[in-house]
Amino acid sequence: MDNEQALIQRAQKGDHDAFATLVDEHQLYVYNLALRVVKDENEALDLTQETFVRAWTALPNFKGQSQLRTWLYRIVTNLCYNRLPNLRRSLNDLGDDVMEEIPETKFNAPADEFESNETRKHLYQAINGLDEQYRLLVTMRYQNELSYEEIATSLNLPLGTVKTGIFRAKAQLRNALAHLEDSWTTA
Amino acid sequence: MDDRLTPEQEAMLEEALKNFPLVPMPHSITPNVMARIQKDTRPTLITWNDFALSFVIALCVGALIFTVQSLPPILLAKLHIEGILLYQYFLVNARWLVPSLFFGIAAFLSALTIPTLIQMTMNRQR
Repeated sequence: MDNEQALIQRAQKGDHDAFATLVDEHQLYVYNLALRVVKDENEALDLTQETFVRAWTALPNFKGQSQLRTWLYRIVTNLCYNRLPNLRRSLNDLGDDVMEEIPETKFNAPADEFESNETRKHLYQAINGLDEQYRLLVTMRYQNELSYEEIATSLNLPLGTVKTGIFRAKAQLRNALAHLEDSWTTA
Repeated sequence: MDDRLTPEQEAMLEEALKNFPLVPMPHSITPNVMARIQKDTRPTLITWNDFALSFVIALCVGALIFTVQSLPPILLAKLHIEGILLYQYFLVNARWLVPSLFFGIAAFLSALTIPTLIQMTMNRQR
C-alpha cells in the first residue's frame, strides 16, 4: 500500500509510468464493476478507459482521504449514471428501511459437492439476474470488499439506503435459492 | 434469515456472493489510456478563461473608479444627496421590504424540502 502511495504521488506529478502501473493494478476491478452494471463487454471497456482518463485529469486533486480504488469506483459509477439515467433514481428510491447491521453467516459445513456446485451455479445466475442497482451494490460490497460506509460515500447515498439495497438483494437471492430447493424437492 | 433456508444454504449464499468470479478483461486498456492521456494535457490550476475573466472584471472596476473621479464635484454631491434620500425613502415607505424578503427566502427554502419529504413518506408507506 505504501508502494501505491508512492505511485500515486509520482503520477500526481505527471509520471506516466507510475500511472500505467496503477491502471494495470486496478483495471480488472473497475472493468468488472462496470460490466456488472452495464452488462455489455464493449461498453464496460469504454467506461473503464474513460474512468482512468478522468482519474488522470483529476489526480492532482486526489488528497488520499479515501483509498484510490474507492475513488476510482466513484468515478466509474458516475459514468454508469450517465449511461443509465434510471440507475441513480432506482438507488435513491430504495429508501432506508434497514438501519441495523446485516448479519453475515460463516461458511461452516460444505454441503454435498454436486448439490453445492449446482446451487452455486444457480446463485451466480441469480446474482446476474438482479436489477442493476442491486448488482452494483452487491458487487461493491462482496467483490470489491467495500464497507457499507465506503459504498455510501462512493455512491453519495445515505448509509441506510445502501444497507436496504443489499438487504433486498440478498432477500431476492434467498428466494431464488428457496425456489431451487423447492424444485429439487418436487422433482 | 429466511426460514426456508438452512444455515448451510445461508452460508452458501454468502460464499457465492463473496466468490462471484471476476470476468477476465478481453484486453488490457493501459495502452489506450496512456495514448489518450499523452494527447490530452492536464488542465492547469488557472486556465486562460480565468485570466480573461479577471482582466474584464479589473477593467470594469478601473473604469468605475475613473468615472467617479472624473465626475464634477457638484454632480457627486447630488448623487450623495440622492443616495441619502433613497435610504430615507426606504426607511419610511418600504419597511415591509426587509421582513418580506426574509419570509420569502424562508418560504423558498422550506419549499425546497418538499420533494425529499414526499420521497421519505413514500418510502415509509412501502
